[in-house]
Amino acid sequence: MSDRLAKAVFWVGTLVSLAVFGAMTVHTHQSFDALTHADALDEQVVAGKRAFERRNCNDCHTIIGFGGYYAPDLTRAYARLGEDAVRRRLESPEVVFAQSYRKMPQQHLGKQEIEDLVAFLRWVSNIENHDWPPQDSPNRWKRSTERILAGASMTPAAALVQQESCLDCHALGGKGGTVGPRLEWIGGRRDADWVARYLADPGAVSPGSRMPAYANLSEGQRLMIGQFIVSLAADRRAP
Amino acid sequence: MTATTAVIYKSQRIAYWYFALALVLFVLQVVVGLWIALQYVITVPQAVVDVFPFSTARAMHTNLLVLWLLLGFMGSTFYLVPDEAQTELAWPRLAIVQLVALAVTGVTALVGFFFGWTQGRPLLEIPTPLDFVVVAAALLFLANVAVTLARAKRWNPVQGTLLGGLVFLAGMYLFGMPFYRNLAMDWYYWWWVIHLWVEGAWELVTAAIAAYMLIKLTGVDRRVVEKWLYVELGLFLFTGIAGTGHHYYWLGAPRAWLWIGGAFSALEPFPIVLMLWDTWRATRDGDGALRPRLTWVYIGGMAILHFVGAGLFGFAHTLPQINYYTHGSQVTVSHGHLAFYGAYALLNLSFFYFAIPRIKGLPGGRYHERAGHWGFWLTTLGVLGMSLAFAVAGVLQTYLERVRGEPYMIAQEPMRFWMLVVFLHGLLVLAGVIVTATHLLTLGPERRPALAAADVGAARSAAGAA
Repeated sequence: MSDRLAKAVFWVGTLVSLAVFGAMTVHTHQSFDALTHADALDEQVVAGKRAFERRNCNDCHTIIGFGGYYAPDLTRAYARLGEDAVRRRLESPEVVFAQSYRKMPQQHLGKQEIEDLVAFLRWVSNIENHDWPPQDSPNRWKRSTERILAGASMTPAAALVQQESCLDCHALGGKGGTVGPRLEWIGGRRDADWVARYLADPGAVSPGSRMPAYANLSEGQRLMIGQFIVSLAADRRAP
Repeated sequence: MTATTAVIYKSQRIAYWYFALALVLFVLQVVVGLWIALQYVITVPQAVVDVFPFSTARAMHTNLLVLWLLLGFMGSTFYLVPDEAQTELAWPRLAIVQLVALAVTGVTALVGFFFGWTQGRPLLEIPTPLDFVVVAAALLFLANVAVTLARAKRWNPVQGTLLGGLVFLAGMYLFGMPFYRNLAMDWYYWWWVIHLWVEGAWELVTAAIAAYMLIKLTGVDRRVVEKWLYVELGLFLFTGIAGTGHHYYWLGAPRAWLWIGGAFSALEPFPIVLMLWDTWRATRDGDGALRPRLTWVYIGGMAILHFVGAGLFGFAHTLPQINYYTHGSQVTVSHGHLAFYGAYALLNLSFFYFAIPRIKGLPGGRYHERAGHWGFWLTTLGVLGMSLAFAVAGVLQTYLERVRGEPYMIAQEPMRFWMLVVFLHGLLVLAGVIVTATHLLTLGPERRPALAAADVGAARSAAGAA
């Protein structure tokens, strides 16, 4: 290879890559507003982002996959956990994770700070990022639950879930609210007995929970709901 | 010709203090790293987590890494520039002022993290007021180097690459300083700092320093090394700049990045292969005896592990089809540790082993090597074992959490054993780094008669000639 050719490789390689990168940067800037729903990016979301940085959340949690790998990804935390569960984790992590082998620091966040963080996570959960992360992909939830619901919607337990309006607060498949955690998500971590006990008195199992008690149901009915919810999990670890 | 074996210009000696501080910070980085690994294995009580959470330790671990590598690069530059320009540094005292400024900034930042004084963005946690001190120190540094080179008027591609890489490095830092309202935009420019550093500016600095070392150690024809330097840099920048796209797949950027990021970054191993081949060719064609042996263990180790850690481990998860499942998992951590060690830690240590004997004026640039070999192998085997354990943990996480959809904490359970394996290898790394740092800071002359070694060298040259 001659010296001239070597220099040509340097200049052509560098400039071509730079041109591609520059053009893509312009394209990205033009697309960001639509893809991130910038119209919903209000002052409270920005205040939430500042709190997120002030508390150094990002060195334990990843968000859109970047940051520390010590705690769950936060991209879709709002959609996965629901607003109430997010709030409780921010308010009293020492209670929520009392039984966990990994803890979250109690940083004594103010009420306003918590609301700002919730607003921030709500906005983040709507960023259109080609359906990442896979474990929280709505398509995936839909696929697994549609299949299960098709077979299970006629069971007495499914009727109970409908009758008690669980989906007013919890998401299931493509439907439901975002106050409590997604129903499919629960069975991966809990068994039917636990769910039944929780239904009887949420506050006793998880202090601070805002879910109403279903003590009006019989023990058998609560257990049936528990078995139904556990059966929805992508991975049915508990019998 | 064997290379010059003692420094000619007094200001080259300043490099020693940069190296010494870098080594101390390296040891500290590994100590904090061990505590980080342990937190994955044991249950840390809430009372400890409240005061010294994982996030604080991680900020320390990564910032110590960046600071010691940058100090190493700066020290290497102060050693290399006077020698290449054949003149004293323009302002030697300013180089000391700059070192003190950076050291004070580093200590302030580390103590500040303890008290929650942080910008809260991974790797760029240093608060904005300290950012300005860093920028001031960087400007002093660049001015010092540029004025020295400009006064000497002896431009060559090695200096040009080094200065270009350093200006590029400093320029990119600015994109990490503002507050961005939009999280996606924030990460878009965060990668201009991090990616364009490690797969752009730092590669230029590394290529220049490695080329200089090879020329000095082997006495190969400078023109040949410089010609291949152009080709390497062309390929590094061609693949590296647009290759930034492999970080833009899932942050809310347009879909075209999946194609562009995937295509360009799939080519990223090529320039590293070329660098590996370049090193091998220089050792084959050089007429100098390959001594001290430890220098060659380091240069060989750097070339190989740079390729494995950055090239192979990086390629393994750079395609969007794979990255969809591995992104943000311990797979990234595995690649990160081996790549930083192979590419940048070993480059710095190689240069320390090249420069310190010459600064100390040890005859023939030789020194008593034994402890250095122990240091190299303990550290290298430790980092390799650690990266493999991270990789197993990462594959588990990818399969359990990403493919099967199990909740995060359930997927973490079987990974804890592998984080224990990481911790145990971390102990090897700590032992190795302490041995290496102590050895480098107390280098003494060879204990064997120098004559014997010289004979071996002469015999080799004779055999080569025949």
